[in-house]
Amino acid sequence: MNELAQVWTIARLEIGRAFFSRRALWVYLLALFPAVIFIGHGVDVTYKKQRWSARGATPANVLKEIANGASDEEVLGKAGQPVFDRQWNRRRHRGESEELEDVSRRTIAYFDGKRLVQFDFEGGKLTRTSQRPLLTFDEDRAAFAAVFQYFYLRLAIFFGCLGIFINLFRGEMLDKSLHFWFLAPVRREILLLGKYCAGLIASVVIFGTGTIIAFTAMLAFQDSAEMWSYWQADGAYHITWYVIAAALGCVGYGSVFVAAGLLLRNPIIPAVVMLLWESINGFLPNVLQKLSVLHYLQSICPVAAPMDANFPPALRMLLSPAAPTAAWQSIGGLLCVTVVVLLVASRAVRRLEINYGTD
Amino acid sequence: MSDFIVFKDVSKFYGEVLGVNRVDLHIPPGITSLVGPNGSGKTTLMNLMTGLVHPGSGTITVRGLSPFQPEKLMRILGYATQYDAAPRGVTGYDFVVAGLLLYGYAPGEAERRARQAIETVSMTQAADRKVAAYSKGMRQRIRLAQAIAHEPSVLVLDEPLNGLDPLVRAETIALFRNYAAEGRHVILSSHVLQEVDVFSDQVILIANGMIVAEGEIKNVREEIHEHPSQFLLHCQNPSRVASLLFEETHITEVKLDPEGRGVLVLTRHRDAFSEAVQRIALSGVEIDGVVPTDENVDALYEYLIGGGR
Repeated sequence: MNELAQVWTIARLEIGRAFFSRRALWVYLLALFPAVIFIGHGVDVTYKKQRWSARGATPANVLKEIANGASDEEVLGKAGQPVFDRQWNRRRHRGESEELEDVSRRTIAYFDGKRLVQFDFEGGKLTRTSQRPLLTFDEDRAAFAAVFQYFYLRLAIFFGCLGIFINLFRGEMLDKSLHFWFLAPVRREILLLGKYCAGLIASVVIFGTGTIIAFTAMLAFQDSAEMWSYWQADGAYHITWYVIAAALGCVGYGSVFVAAGLLLRNPIIPAVVMLLWESINGFLPNVLQKLSVLHYLQSICPVAAPMDANFPPALRMLLSPAAPTAAWQSIGGLLCVTVVVLLVASRAVRRLEINYGTD
Repeated sequence: MSDFIVFKDVSKFYGEVLGVNRVDLHIPPGITSLVGPNGSGKTTLMNLMTGLVHPGSGTITVRGLSPFQPEKLMRILGYATQYDAAPRGVTGYDFVVAGLLLYGYAPGEAERRARQAIETVSMTQAADRKVAAYSKGMRQRIRLAQAIAHEPSVLVLDEPLNGLDPLVRAETIALFRNYAAEGRHVILSSHVLQEVDVFSDQVILIANGMIVAEGEIKNVREEIHEHPSQFLLHCQNPSRVASLLFEETHITEVKLDPEGRGVLVLTRHRDAFSEAVQRIALSGVEIDGVVPTDENVDALYEYLIGGGR
């Protein structure tokens, strides 16, 4: 039996455990969390749209004609029943004097079928008009990029791979079943590779599917014309690279955690060290940046993640990406890092002994 | 390629705890029993020869192969460990088939061999049940099935007779004998010498990580016969029984049981002692029962380690 066939046999035998390890079922929650966010957002928007449309959408041209200075009664007369109407009083100083006065305020909003148009009144007169679309495709795409890079790559795939790959050897040590593999006529390196492939298949399927579901959820609630034009322009390209980034995340983090499972007993230690290393990567010299998985993953993400100006400076520093690398260089770099880590792991697995008593 | 299993000056420490110390062994084909009390190093010796643990010093070869080459060694070796666990959720049948697939057998051939091995250990009825639901004896047998399924030349079995009912036990021993008759190695461990001495070709006695005695079973048995055995005679009149026993030449010590149950007797000749007890009983002195009090292997080790005193 050639060694490639052995790798595949081991992966086949191990794959069920990699998918349904009782210690790693929470991985599915992490993988599906972005999808839940986007589905929730879409359902919320759809519900509002239906509720407001049921009252009858106000024609956009009617709303456009309303100018500042109009009274609230005039607006109500022209535009009809609003989707919401709030009134309150604000107490403030009259001019420069110490004397207080109550000013009545009112906000009336209309829905024109796509946008929410809001009129703000002070003392019965219109002072400000604002409008915002119920669903903004650009904003949602930026939100997806942010969720993917700040949550999915940095946390979900990171901890998901921790759960799946650490268990490949450490979990069997705890279950006292690792000897089953060590008594097979298989080189230990081949065993490592087979188990790694099983973890990789499971994690790529879980997180790749999670990415596709979240992306689909983000698109599904958009205006269909806008969605199709995006899909034909950049959409297919974007989702392809998001899935590639997720898969490469599994390749990189998987190798690190399978090695950690062989070298260390406590998975918390490698997780914390790795998370710190990945977080401070942006501050490291160029050479050291190349030893980070995240560095390469950020470089192949198709859309730059937005950075909110209101983020605290420390968080902005942690989230800011390191100097980008070209996509193909990134893939090559990541695969090199993975090979080096797997070589270290193969040395460890050759030395590994069955000693359940001490685990 | 050598037909022997060879340990050359092998030591193994688990941190500061001794596993085995300076072991030299030359094990020929046939049934070899490793006998010793719990914690004496039997499992360590088996784990060393199968590569599950690595020696701190010394070298091991199994029929010329190093345990550091599992891809070659495991083709000729089957090991039924003492570890109860199997991969989670598998049935006995799947467990044996999975092992065979790793040997490179095509699925059809793996299934045929698995069925045959399972039948050999009389587990056909329970083959489709989850291993997790098996009794201790059934787990023992399914591990044995997995170890023999690829028909190895070296069969290593850790306490293989534990938890087996008498019928299966007899069948299992017959299986070992067949293997040995074909020129294969059958290495098994036990902490009860009497359990294995009837069918072993050679025995290795181990205590505290060191080999205490090693050789063909008949030679070791003679040494064991020299070992005085202690019995407790339950009787109504201990003083009378003691005085009658003193007249027997093979009796080395007689004393009254401190707990008042009867007489404690030390003899070097079990058969003669048995005849003496029969004579005393026939003479009208009431003897309620005879119980061996040191028929455990620990007592034998104390004797052997102490140089036969």
